[in-house]
Amino acid sequence: MIHLAYLDAGSGSLIVQAVVGGVAGVAVAAKLYWRRLVDRFRRQPTDHR
Amino acid sequence: MAISPAGLRPEPGSFRDPANRVFHIGDDVLRGLDARAAEDWRALAGADFFTALLAAGKVCGTEALEPTLVPADIPWAAVLRHERIPFISHPYEWSFSMLRDAALLHLEILRAALPAGFTTKDGSAYNLQWRGSEPVFIDVGSFEPLRDGEPWAGYRQFCQTLLYPLLLTAHLGVDFQPWLRARVDGIEADQLRPLFRGARRLLPGVPTHLHLHGAMQSRNAAASTTDVRAQLRAAGYSRELALATVRGIEKLVRRLDRRPATSHWADYQRTCGYSSQDRVAKERFVTAALADGPRPRLVLDLGANDGRYARLAAGHADQVVAVEQDPAVADALYRALREERQHRVLPLVMDLADPSPGGGWRGVERASFADRAAAADVVLALAVVHHLAIGRNVPLPEVVDWLAGLGTPGARIVVEFVHPDDPMARRLLANKPEGLFPDYRREEFERLLAARCRIARRAELPTGTRTLYTAVVGG
Repeated sequence: MIHLAYLDAGSGSLIVQAVVGGVAGVAVAAKLYWRRLVDRFRRQPTDHR
Repeated sequence: MAISPAGLRPEPGSFRDPANRVFHIGDDVLRGLDARAAEDWRALAGADFFTALLAAGKVCGTEALEPTLVPADIPWAAVLRHERIPFISHPYEWSFSMLRDAALLHLEILRAALPAGFTTKDGSAYNLQWRGSEPVFIDVGSFEPLRDGEPWAGYRQFCQTLLYPLLLTAHLGVDFQPWLRARVDGIEADQLRPLFRGARRLLPGVPTHLHLHGAMQSRNAAASTTDVRAQLRAAGYSRELALATVRGIEKLVRRLDRRPATSHWADYQRTCGYSSQDRVAKERFVTAALADGPRPRLVLDLGANDGRYARLAAGHADQVVAVEQDPAVADALYRALREERQHRVLPLVMDLADPSPGGGWRGVERASFADRAAAADVVLALAVVHHLAIGRNVPLPEVVDWLAGLGTPGARIVVEFVHPDDPMARRLLANKPEGLFPDYRREEFERLLAARCRIARRAELPTGTRTLYTAVVGG
């Protein structure tokens, strides 16, 4: 179920909380960015077809 | 108490979260909840962490109203009744240590909620109020079940209304109050970042919570929070991580301290030239004014300085609001009151010649000081008239009008008039062109006061350069 709060939490404000959470948090943020990067490369061949 | 829709007054400061809304009925404070919020409330009411916070007085007293008392035509699934906060104040009226203690309480509440599977929907400084010098979390509607894998939705708001103002004062020595007063949603990262360049980039909390946070906001401006939440969950964001983040912010906030400032007012009681005889006479006069008549619920002490008379008033009243213009002096007063466990005095930072106007949506979301002061039963204006009339050029009739207009009908005003030949008045007059204040005389002040109030008592202090009056508004 998608649930949105009444308040706009801010996308950047959500991600930065992982980073300020210490080493484990930085790992989560790195994973998130890695996945975004991988997704971009995966998507590219489809885009050029 | 059965409630009728006709007597309900919606609280103008409560509309941002459509799931619940605060109303007033007589002296009662009620909160209407929609179906989902009512369900969250039932879960919350049964949670041990919440019961413990209520018992410790850290969350404002809250109980569900019997459904039989709620008429069927009220559009709420449940109605809560809250403890009444004696005097509503705004974060831009708090001193540095007050804002810090409010921030720490917000974090403590979140830290207690997370392991129990709850979070707060927001992180605003406006979630907190004061019982005297004791902070209290009032936004019970903010609690909701935690969805694992999601960071705190209130973090940005917490930064804007609590953390950034604290960084501004702690690191740069700049008072945060005017910044918060000008911005109902607080200070944005991009508004503060230009002040933290060079070596200041490395000050505690600045690299991450300010610069990285600001940069992340711009970089992710186009990403929807729904997508980012899903990405974070997939990347393994956990409840433990959320807790570690809160602990980290807590540690940072505890480290922040106000830079010691030298302030003219800090030594006022020592340098203001009162003889001990004067002081005794003045205390006796003020005590008599407080004790003469029904016990006041609310006393305003205008120009409170070190809080001598606010403390005196606290012995005779339910709540005293001590208004002080100098943030450093108000901060020292707050710290002293906390140490003394004096929970009946609320110190506030405010310039009486520029009191808080109405703010936020339509100028009523945050009530003006004048609106809130209207509930006062006793007003103390000791050694303050000369600062307004001479120091700030406010015409004497205006000063008296203002005093007489504060408080409830029948309020007692205890006012001190400093004669023009008093050393303090002479010092103020020396800075102004001669003959600028021909009205500034005791006879004229008395005439103006008598035209607006009934003068119940009058006493000249032993030194002979100050006169005290107790005046009854509309008496």
